Amino acid sequence: MYPQQVQQYLRTFFSENNCEIVVDTDHYLTVQLTIDMDKRIMNRPYYWQYVETTGGVPNPTQLTLITDQTKLNDNVRGELVYFGSPRLGQLFQATHEMGAFIEMFEQVDEKINRPILTPWLGVNYKISYYSNQTKEMLHSLGVNLMNGHITKDFHATLGDMNITPAKPQNAFLLPYIIKPIRGLERLDGVVENLIQQDDHSWADQAKKRWQRDIRVLEFFYEGVDEKPECYEMEKKALQQQYEPRIKIEIINGGLFYLK
Amino acid sequence: MIIERSSEWAEGFAKRLENVEPWDNWTLYNMSYDIAKNNLITEFTGLQSPKYLTSLKPLEHQLQVAETVIERMNGKAILADEVGLGKTIEAGLILKEYLVRGLVKKALILAPASLINQWLEELHYKFYIPAVPYKKNTPLELCDVVVLSMDTAKKSPHRELIFEQDYDMIIIDEAHKLKNHKTKIYEFVQSLKKKFCLLLTATPVQNDVFELFNLISLLKPGHLGNFEAFQSAFSASKHDLEHDDYLKELVNQVMVRNRRQDTGIEWTNRQVNILPIQFTNEEKEVYEMIMNLKNISPVFSGAFSMITLQKEMCSSKEATFLTLNKMRQNCTNPEENASVENVMQKLMALEINSKAEKTYEIISRAKDKVIIFTEYKASQAYLQWYLHTKGITSVLFNGKFNKNKRDWMKHLFKEHAQVLIATESGGEGINLQFCHHVINYDLPWNPMKLEQRIGRVHRLGQEHDVHIYNLAIENTIEIDILQLLYKKIDVFEKVVGDLDDILSAFKQTI
Repeated sequence: MYPQQVQQYLRTFFSENNCEIVVDTDHYLTVQLTIDMDKRIMNRPYYWQYVETTGGVPNPTQLTLITDQTKLNDNVRGELVYFGSPRLGQLFQATHEMGAFIEMFEQVDEKINRPILTPWLGVNYKISYYSNQTKEMLHSLGVNLMNGHITKDFHATLGDMNITPAKPQNAFLLPYIIKPIRGLERLDGVVENLIQQDDHSWADQAKKRWQRDIRVLEFFYEGVDEKPECYEMEKKALQQQYEPRIKIEIINGGLFYLK
Repeated sequence: MIIERSSEWAEGFAKRLENVEPWDNWTLYNMSYDIAKNNLITEFTGLQSPKYLTSLKPLEHQLQVAETVIERMNGKAILADEVGLGKTIEAGLILKEYLVRGLVKKALILAPASLINQWLEELHYKFYIPAVPYKKNTPLELCDVVVLSMDTAKKSPHRELIFEQDYDMIIIDEAHKLKNHKTKIYEFVQSLKKKFCLLLTATPVQNDVFELFNLISLLKPGHLGNFEAFQSAFSASKHDLEHDDYLKELVNQVMVRNRRQDTGIEWTNRQVNILPIQFTNEEKEVYEMIMNLKNISPVFSGAFSMITLQKEMCSSKEATFLTLNKMRQNCTNPEENASVENVMQKLMALEINSKAEKTYEIISRAKDKVIIFTEYKASQAYLQWYLHTKGITSVLFNGKFNKNKRDWMKHLFKEHAQVLIATESGGEGINLQFCHHVINYDLPWNPMKLEQRIGRVHRLGQEHDVHIYNLAIENTIEIDILQLLYKKIDVFEKVVGDLDDILSAFKQTI
């Protein structure tokens, strides 16, 4: 992420969260946080507890964030924000939490009488493979809640559609036959299938490395009848180092009513 | 295979379906997806961390070390680059990579007390890792990356508090302090769980090959076999090594070492001079009288105290006097006492210190900044006084100085004084690239200490050839030390690889 991208990201993030942007240049911005945003990112629970119990006037922070220090010539004081910085990591996390569940409607031509919209469940999955190495994959899946039809790359197809959070006035929403929670279970099943069909030589190799290191360890304690505590601990460490495991996470998802 | 999943999202989704909580914002939804996509780790191999590190430009060899350690050594390794090539950067890269990949949550870093601040600064500013220095009452369970000194870590109650935590990664700086397996700190590190572990040292072998065995057995017990097997295969004499190629290969599976010339960076040269010095007749007389003391009193019969006295006599009368006076108090017999006093009188009557004169000669010829390393505080003070009488300004330095005082002394040396006189413990953790003359006024027993000393100036950023002057007085113990140093370097080179010139190849000059 280049400084301009970070700047753009901050701009969008704060304006989408109704924080007023007081100063906006190409290398820094000053933003007036809302009370909610202050509570979320400024990490001062005692202050808010104090204000709320005493009924004081809340004074949410005004934050100056600098994205490109090299362009800074006037006397601006603020926090440096760059890819990898704790602040940006925190905002990424906030974005993740605040953009997790969605309900969207495809817009329809007003001239059409009673256009019909079909409910879909869309979910974005992240799968991580862990041993002493890692690899991650994204899967965006959608299931038609009328007929159970499943599509991949669901999120990408949404990009071409005109969709909004507001239901078109004249549209008729088909009541779903498959309940969304059941739909989610189906998609979970698809993800598990995808994992099963994947190449897992990474796990076999990790197990081989694990076995080899166990043999080395055994050799060290060969002939020792009462093995010391650190022998067990080393074994546990090897397990944590190499044991293959898989993690499935949901980044976000929601209901989509589409033509 | 273990599959971990969480029902958290499903629960939140159910609440939205029941209209208990509102739906989120579409723009944030898309942003969140894009972030996940951009930060995705798509390959098992390769380094992710550099793209997060905008204020660091790692050197090619540093990136290579990080990759090798992670991909070939599975995150357990000895980082043994020569001094000044950036082992801290390499360790930081590896730690960052594991943090980014989610394989490490908690890490423990053990470093000498004098280097703790340096670690914290590098981790904060170069790697954006919010590391915390350990103090009394630091809540370890809340701190993910902690830096503390070995001396603190091994003591109660700290050691118990550390054992209660579950660390994924242990990094130990100046790991040669673990060469002896009978020490408390060795036992402490042995009892730590080491899922991923880095041992940092420029000098994995200092005296003999068992030190390396001890280090590797901490990292990967059994890699060099157990102690008995190793001993029968590699010992006979501690200094001679058969099977070195086999051993070298095993070692290279767990150790990475870059030498200056491998880095592709243009390094300035080292010019090592061994300068033999002649005692004056008077000095020689006193030196021999001291040697003779072992025939006069049992107090002086111990080999260790005699060696100390001999070494001190090669350094300065001030250093010798302190020890001699202390030992005299142990003499019960008045006759013995008298002969020791006689020696002391002779000693204090000496007017010339040949070595100090030579030192002055070097400094005045260099006409530039010079660092002098001595083993003794008394010699350090004497040298300052002596140089002062010659009109040469100097500052003192030792490792016990706190950070402020160190920085201040470094500043004084850089801006005002011509000479910095350091004791041995000043060898670690100070970087003086602006200077390129080093006088080893006393020689340590350990070649790696010499390497540490030289590494203070011969590191990244040095623009001139570095001149090193090793002073040794002829027909004294210093010549023996010199020979032993060669022998130890030989062991090191057989097992670990070549060393830059520490002593100089011109053995015949002695």
